[in-house]
Amino acid sequence: MKVTMHLCAAALVASVLTNAAPTRAAGDDQPWVLDANNWQEGKDLLPDPVVKRLQKGEYWFKVSPVDPQKFHHNYSQAFWDATESNAGKYDLDDKTCGLKDKSTGKIPEFVFGQPFPTVDKNDPKAGCKIAWNFQMTGAQGGGGGATFTLNGVDTNGQFRRIKAFIHSRGFQGRHFGQLKDNPENLEGEGIGGALEPVDVEGVSTLTKRTWDWESQDAIWAYVPSTRRARRVNAASRSDPVAGLDIFSDDLNCYGGKVTYYQWKLVGEQTILAPFLQPYPFPSKSVSPTRQIIETPYMTAGYEKPGSKGAPWWIQENLVFVPRPVWVVEGQSSDPYYNFGKVIMYFDKEMYRIYWKLVHNRAGEYFYTAMCGYHFVKNDEKFSAVFPNLVVGVNDKTNRAALGGRFQSSFLEQNWDPSYFSLRTLTHMTD
Amino acid sequence: MTARGTVALLAILGALLAYLWLFEVGVPRTAAAPTDTEPLLAVPSAAIARVEVAEPGGRLTAIRSGAGWTDDRGRPWRDDAVSDLVDTLRSLRPVMVVDPHPATPADYGFADDVRRLDVADGGGRRVLALEIGERNPAWTALYVRRAGRPEVLLVGGVLGWELQKVHDAAPAR
Repeated sequence: MKVTMHLCAAALVASVLTNAAPTRAAGDDQPWVLDANNWQEGKDLLPDPVVKRLQKGEYWFKVSPVDPQKFHHNYSQAFWDATESNAGKYDLDDKTCGLKDKSTGKIPEFVFGQPFPTVDKNDPKAGCKIAWNFQMTGAQGGGGGATFTLNGVDTNGQFRRIKAFIHSRGFQGRHFGQLKDNPENLEGEGIGGALEPVDVEGVSTLTKRTWDWESQDAIWAYVPSTRRARRVNAASRSDPVAGLDIFSDDLNCYGGKVTYYQWKLVGEQTILAPFLQPYPFPSKSVSPTRQIIETPYMTAGYEKPGSKGAPWWIQENLVFVPRPVWVVEGQSSDPYYNFGKVIMYFDKEMYRIYWKLVHNRAGEYFYTAMCGYHFVKNDEKFSAVFPNLVVGVNDKTNRAALGGRFQSSFLEQNWDPSYFSLRTLTHMTD
Repeated sequence: MTARGTVALLAILGALLAYLWLFEVGVPRTAAAPTDTEPLLAVPSAAIARVEVAEPGGRLTAIRSGAGWTDDRGRPWRDDAVSDLVDTLRSLRPVMVVDPHPATPADYGFADDVRRLDVADGGGRRVLALEIGERNPAWTALYVRRAGRPEVLLVGGVLGWELQKVHDAAPAR
């Protein structure tokens, strides 16, 4: 009897302690935890498939409200000044949604800052303007790279791990103005490849994106065993990467050209936005053109015994900031593109996509990607925003993939002109 | 074999045949029926003049007018939500027939207060009537039934997204 009473008392104390966890009503400025115990507080702050997992205890969120003014200054003053000066300069091509310089009627020579500092939700072209603001905001860093992992995770833990790298150079949207040497008229270019395990080592891709309204990305894939580089369709961005539940189009939550989608603004709300930390990391110069950024690792559930939630859920070094977002639909007309309607949540000010819900071409919802970021800034002359996490969850198969989670990344302002080439691609394993 | 043994064997055979007839042959087969491959809505979007969604909280009505879609009191619908729903109905085909003869339709969300969608053309002819059931367990699709037909169809979850948009864009009730 005495033992039973002790157990009851312990259960009561545990219950009180559980309820006394830092949960709180929305509107407070203090950090709080959203989990299965108070899931109702999050039902309007997350996409529905995510709320479903929150309710089941698979996901939990460390919510960290921010000072809106301070958060705004995660981007440099140079970026915001350029954004302000872009007011009234640009329009959109009616047919393609391509960015147009009002003074020439053609694609602008160089753009820096968000091209549309004000978006009117009643504007029929609002969705396309939001997409352009997103594209140019992401391009502000100019170029760089990181070595990262892709981890396939199911309900029992990790089943595949791939270590890879990505290097990129942007010609548009960068701080410090236009690069002089751009003979191919590119918007950007990138090279990426697998490093581990050995059976995929050296499998790599080269992408070149032309600065125009209508061309497709030029993408070459190289497989060391055949020693051949082969051109692949740009729609392969919607193919699973290495058989995992993650897609090339998940980089920044949208990896294509703006003109590949028809964009439609369908709503606005507040959403929980994932960040490594809410405010910028500093960069450290290691050469006149290169800066290194050190960031902490985001441990996932499968890496931490006894952790709370799904094995793929991030346990450490991830906070969620309530942010105002535009809800935008995107749809490709390319018959080779695997996705049907994609629903994306764009920050109204910082223009990052935090969540996307993907339907297949039969209209079935099947996939959610959560896209996390970190900011880099030392002064008001330069800033960058890095995509550092994708949690892709296939709700049809109940499997997930994690992408990113790098601990070191770099910014590079002066790549060797011949680096992004087929020669580099085909000599990757030499 | 004795006559008694023959009678006993015949009795067992009769019982087996009765079992087969009563419990196997007589019961409708539940194997997957051929998939209904037609789009949910087979008429052009421009021909649609009225959309109604009846749900436990009330009825939403959208009537096509010169200026777009209005409710039955003439108040305009916000955004393109109704047109988007009609376009989606034209593009969606059932993914599969889940159950041709459901023994308990309520298991799929088809209870008395089920959500109903009615679509009519300019002549007042009903061109689509659907009962909208629950989401499937994976949340990827919805169970629906064409009015007057027993089979439960599975259609893509994008229909749920479009219905939510219609709900959110309704004139204030």
